[in-house]
Amino acid sequence: MDPSTSRPAVVIDNGTGYTKMGFAGNVEPFFNVPTVVALNDSFLSQPARNSLKGSTSWLTQHSAGVMADLDFHIGEDAMSKSRSSGIYNLTHPIKHGQVENWDAMERFWQQCIYNYLRCDPEDHYFLLTESPLTAPESREYTGEIMFETFNVPGLYIAVQPVLALAAGYTTNKCEMTGVVVDVGDGATHVVPVAEGYVIGSSIKSISISGKDVTFFIQQLMRERGEHINIPPEDSLEVARKVKETFCYTCADIVKEFNKHDKEPAKYIKKWKGIKPKTGAPYSCDVGYERFLGPEVFFNPEIYNKGFKTPLPSVIDKCIQSAPIDTRRALYKNIVLSGGSTAFKDFHRRLQREVKKIVGARVNASEAKFNNLKAQPVEVNVVSHPIQKHAVWFGGSVLASTQEFFAACHTKAEYEEYGASICRTNPVFKGMY
Amino acid sequence: MILLQAHSRYLLQILQNRVQNLDKGVELDCHWVEFDDVRYHIQASIKTPNLLHLSVSLPTPPPEIDFSGGLPLGAIEALKTAYGSVVHILDPPKDGFNLTVKLNLVKLPNLEEMKQNLLVKIASVREVVMGAPLRVILKRLASRSVPPNAAELVPLLHRPNESFFIVPQLEKVTVVFPMRFNDSIDTVLATSFLQEFVEARRTAGLNNAPACLWSSTPPNELKEAPQQALSANAGFVSFVISTRHVEGKKLEKTVWSLSTFHAYVNYHVKCSEGFMHTRMRRRVESLIQALDRAKLDENTATAAQSKSFKRLTIEESRGNSH
Repeated sequence: MDPSTSRPAVVIDNGTGYTKMGFAGNVEPFFNVPTVVALNDSFLSQPARNSLKGSTSWLTQHSAGVMADLDFHIGEDAMSKSRSSGIYNLTHPIKHGQVENWDAMERFWQQCIYNYLRCDPEDHYFLLTESPLTAPESREYTGEIMFETFNVPGLYIAVQPVLALAAGYTTNKCEMTGVVVDVGDGATHVVPVAEGYVIGSSIKSISISGKDVTFFIQQLMRERGEHINIPPEDSLEVARKVKETFCYTCADIVKEFNKHDKEPAKYIKKWKGIKPKTGAPYSCDVGYERFLGPEVFFNPEIYNKGFKTPLPSVIDKCIQSAPIDTRRALYKNIVLSGGSTAFKDFHRRLQREVKKIVGARVNASEAKFNNLKAQPVEVNVVSHPIQKHAVWFGGSVLASTQEFFAACHTKAEYEEYGASICRTNPVFKGMY
Repeated sequence: MILLQAHSRYLLQILQNRVQNLDKGVELDCHWVEFDDVRYHIQASIKTPNLLHLSVSLPTPPPEIDFSGGLPLGAIEALKTAYGSVVHILDPPKDGFNLTVKLNLVKLPNLEEMKQNLLVKIASVREVVMGAPLRVILKRLASRSVPPNAAELVPLLHRPNESFFIVPQLEKVTVVFPMRFNDSIDTVLATSFLQEFVEARRTAGLNNAPACLWSSTPPNELKEAPQQALSANAGFVSFVISTRHVEGKKLEKTVWSLSTFHAYVNYHVKCSEGFMHTRMRRRVESLIQALDRAKLDENTATAAQSKSFKRLTIEESRGNSH
């Protein structure tokens, strides 16, 4: 019996902004670190050597500092190290869901496995995630890194929206058909999934994501003059924390402005912080940002980015572009995932707006065909407490099923057929 | 990161979070595995927010080592010395684990620095338990007392079904590791890594380090060892530890470094493979550039297409919802 199957699999969800990692069978990821690597590139700036004379080039690197290639940090450590000392350069290996810098990604995984999770990669099966519409070559490179460098016994690369759907496994009978609205830090995608397979041609993405909400809040606070209190290097950090602590989704913008103006004491909150350099405490007011932040998704024109389509109509357009027989099922199961969907009442507002659009269309078609009454379309936006880590949780659930180990690509297959086996990752029985 | 750290990062995170929110405890039930097959399970309930149940399972020992009561020799005493009243050992341990302890966070010292130090120590429970027999031997070396089993071969647990060997003597302790690897590439890299160890020891500046030897055949100290312990595809490494390596604070570090030597070598072998990957990629890129230059210039106007093997991106489809 392969001992690796008796140990929990390692689930790593690499996103553009944050990476969630942990072991299968647990509810929450162990670590949620920013996907950033701080590299010390000073030893790489040697004049390019055309002839690879082994001893000379190694000697220069050796004199540049022993273990210079191990001199890097990831995650929170990386961000603080790059702020404090100048020799570290920050790189984001993943941009818009795609891995751009494979060297940095390999080092990132190496630190995840050895420093954070502290497991031996040869002992565990791995479940990694990827964005939909990733090129198959990218899966090949991932497989190559995992099998060659880390000698993992088995690997499965799952698509993030399918895992987000699987996260609803425990709440209701698992539906593998639905639309996943994944609003992350770096990218927002609306992905229709039918029977576990992503309908690639209908994927819609919008350029507003969690980072934009943070910028917007920072902008609003600056316009109101709050920034004189906040130390400038922290203002983005403060905006992010304000977003996570105080923001909520309102039902109607105009009414909300009135509510705030009538009862300021009830709605305006104070943010208290400590200046890092002097240690002095400061506080600033948080007012309209509380509901204007998440409003960016429903009325993008307030953010002034040249992008005008609100999220509910993007979802509607996405479903309308999907095959006609799947549309009712898709409307019935709109699943939210990603940290930026965790605003209070986000799902209620989204459901109302999508219902409005669908209702308008049904009424218009009924008016055109006089007597024919259509069956009402059920619109349902599903939200559950694990939304923030829905993808990771779905991965954890899937990697705990017995069928997972059979569906993985094993090292033996890799040695026999090569990296091209990683191009396809079948949807397996455990997902149903 | 060059050396593997002694404390479990996740365990430390849990402890620090709970200590900061002592009154707002949440349900906790996690299990995870560390290298060398050490499993942990931690459990906490809302009703008793300051109590945590931590269970540890150790790798199965090879036949020549005997675990009395499921734990290595001296583990229970080591736990009591290190943690005091914060930790209460539960007997019998949870099903499937070698050790279960109840942590009472209220009993932590009040001084912030001492509290943090003790939390780090608790997170290093693996080092305390698995390194107990080694610590006993090295403490005797530090105090220069005659060991009862002088010049005798002592096997200690290293990895599942594998052990490493110690010959304790009055002035020095010789430690021998048989190194085994599953993958053939790893074996080759590890062999040259270990031989390099011996070479590097000779450079000036490392004179105070323990003497280090590598051989592909079992050294003399292992002549009484059981047969199956003597097969090692990456050779045998021996260190000679003397008194100055185990004085004071260095004892803990020495115990940890020796107990997890194989994991350390494994980690560095993987780092070397990663680094070689980087160099290979750079080489491939330079070769592709050479290929590009060799291509016939059909459209010199399209100078923007400098990369011939363009990787597919979703740049085109991003923001396509217009």
